[in-house]
Amino acid sequence: MKKNLKKFIEYRELLYNLTIKEVKVRYKNSFLGFLWSMVNPLMLLLVYYVAFGVIFRLRAEGMVRYEFYLLAGILPWNFFSLSVIQAVGSVVNNADLVKKVYFPREVLPLSYLCSSGFHFLLQELVLLAFLLIFRVRLSPWILAFPLLLVLQACFAAGLSLLLSAVNVFFRDVQHFTDIFLLAWFWMTPVVYPVSFIFESLPPWAARIYLLNPMAHIMLLWQRIVYNSPVNGPKAAYFSPVGFTYTVVLSLLLLILGYWAFCRLEGRFAEFI
Amino acid sequence: MSGREIGAGVISREPALRLEGVAKCFRLYHDVSRSLKERVINWRKRGYELFWALKDVDLTVYRGETLSVIGPNGSGKSTMLRLMTGIMKPNRGSITTHGTIAALLELGAGFHPDLTGRENIYLNASILGLKRKEVDRIIDEIIEFSELGPFIDNQVKNYSSGMYVRLGFSIAINVNPDILLIDEVLAVGDASFQTKCIDRILRMQREGKTIVLVTHNADIAASISDRILWLEKGEVKMLGDPREVSDAYLRAMRTRPEGSEFGTREIVIGKVDILDGAGNPEIRFSTGDAMVIRLRYRAERRVEDPVFGFGIYDHMGLMVYGTNTRLLKVDIPYVEGEGTVEFHLPKLNLLDGRYYLSVAAHTRDGQVNYHWLDKLFFFDVESPGRESGYLAMDCRVVLHAPS
Repeated sequence: MKKNLKKFIEYRELLYNLTIKEVKVRYKNSFLGFLWSMVNPLMLLLVYYVAFGVIFRLRAEGMVRYEFYLLAGILPWNFFSLSVIQAVGSVVNNADLVKKVYFPREVLPLSYLCSSGFHFLLQELVLLAFLLIFRVRLSPWILAFPLLLVLQACFAAGLSLLLSAVNVFFRDVQHFTDIFLLAWFWMTPVVYPVSFIFESLPPWAARIYLLNPMAHIMLLWQRIVYNSPVNGPKAAYFSPVGFTYTVVLSLLLLILGYWAFCRLEGRFAEFI
Repeated sequence: MSGREIGAGVISREPALRLEGVAKCFRLYHDVSRSLKERVINWRKRGYELFWALKDVDLTVYRGETLSVIGPNGSGKSTMLRLMTGIMKPNRGSITTHGTIAALLELGAGFHPDLTGRENIYLNASILGLKRKEVDRIIDEIIEFSELGPFIDNQVKNYSSGMYVRLGFSIAINVNPDILLIDEVLAVGDASFQTKCIDRILRMQREGKTIVLVTHNADIAASISDRILWLEKGEVKMLGDPREVSDAYLRAMRTRPEGSEFGTREIVIGKVDILDGAGNPEIRFSTGDAMVIRLRYRAERRVEDPVFGFGIYDHMGLMVYGTNTRLLKVDIPYVEGEGTVEFHLPKLNLLDGRYYLSVAAHTRDGQVNYHWLDKLFFFDVESPGRESGYLAMDCRVVLHAPS
């Protein structure tokens, strides 16, 4: 693993170049180009806003500008799910390269994480602009943005490395991931405030719900970007234990994912 | 062709690449069962056979030397190259390298069709391990070498296959590694580009680079290498002086074709007959005769959509002609039990020589071989005329005497 890490650092420019490639290629030949990065979440926002804000009246729960609450969660969630979905198939889809050229294979899943991260940052900039325009009160904790980004990236990277390596041997992983992420989305407070869970589930079930590290990460995004304690107290929940648990789990997953990747990597070329 | 004298002091005794007891084993799967369900169902069944592509090979490639690796198909040449690059890991033994390695295994692997040639140079060079600054330094040379001119700023998807390959070669060769591994990619491009490539390799030799070249062609190997390694069935058969090894290799190939058979045996080709036009077994033909190749097969279970084919090879193992039922647009929905397939060649346009025949049954995509009989049969052709080469072609002379 140490040797792999050294090689990886040697090839860091490849990660950069592959990321640039992904960014360039994603909206190449499309008329709107980069604007799609914005259009996509805005359309999602519209759908969820109409469904939950207007039809189910989640707004009535005392949340200022429910649409911004939605965006504060949807953007990082999309970043997470998109990078994982793309990363899972990354080794298999680049079979040509893996079979013909030697390079540290971990750059493949990680390049998708980075390119999705790039789009995420663009989207967050737009969200920030909206927050300022509509004079939503910002939280000073927004300065913790880079730290939270690193935390989520660690978690996503660990998961991506693990799944993309296993996917070479069991292609089912790819299909399973799609479905699982959909379920995971609804097991995470993005659309609804977390208070719904505490109110409607028995305490033991709520405790299980809080084992989901993405729930803690999303709650933090809503806290620092949307300023949930001020703008929507019902959506504000923070526990130091939950936070510590999430950080430790993310780091462990990253180590485990990388370890598994390094172990399996040697057999990629013949199996793919 | 050699641009320098062998043993002129360029080659040191310092190792650039060292293989110690390297062995590589593949699993040949009877059926490609990659999904979880199939794995669970076939939990206890070992659905594969072990195939040792390399068996405990020891080899030291010295700094500054050009080593060619020759050997018949399936002798482990390409596997060895892949192990050297690190694409695959050996099951046993160790490989140590001193210096940077670049491999020409396939040109343009990793090109993205939507990016321009220039953008692809940066991407591809970084896949080969180059830093951006280093690419900046050599990009002009790459573009010039590729002869792409203004097309370099066009998207690669608009390139012809020749342009594609030229760009790939230019990048790989200009990466300028300490050790260059080449896998028979020289047969690309037009003649003038090929000459350029050979020139470039000779220049790298003069610069003291270490080169490992894998090839079928013993003559090319003999003309540009310092030593030749002859691999056979994963073992070192001979290693040493280029002339000696290539002569021994060619002699062996002439007298004894390297026949073998392999496959999953879901379809078994039991008997192969080479017949004359009247349907009688024959191994002596004259140029222009009719020939029928008849395969008798047996499939224990129903096999969907199989393809049957054959290939004719010369004494050096180069394919002279080959085709199959898919290429001939004959669909075989399935086979079950016994049957025969006949290929009718009304006119054998081959000149003098002994030719070897391979026959095979495989899946439509060619990914799985049911049964492959590699050069197990042969026939001789005698030509009434005195032309030379492989092919009988119609040729007419027109003379215009000076008036």
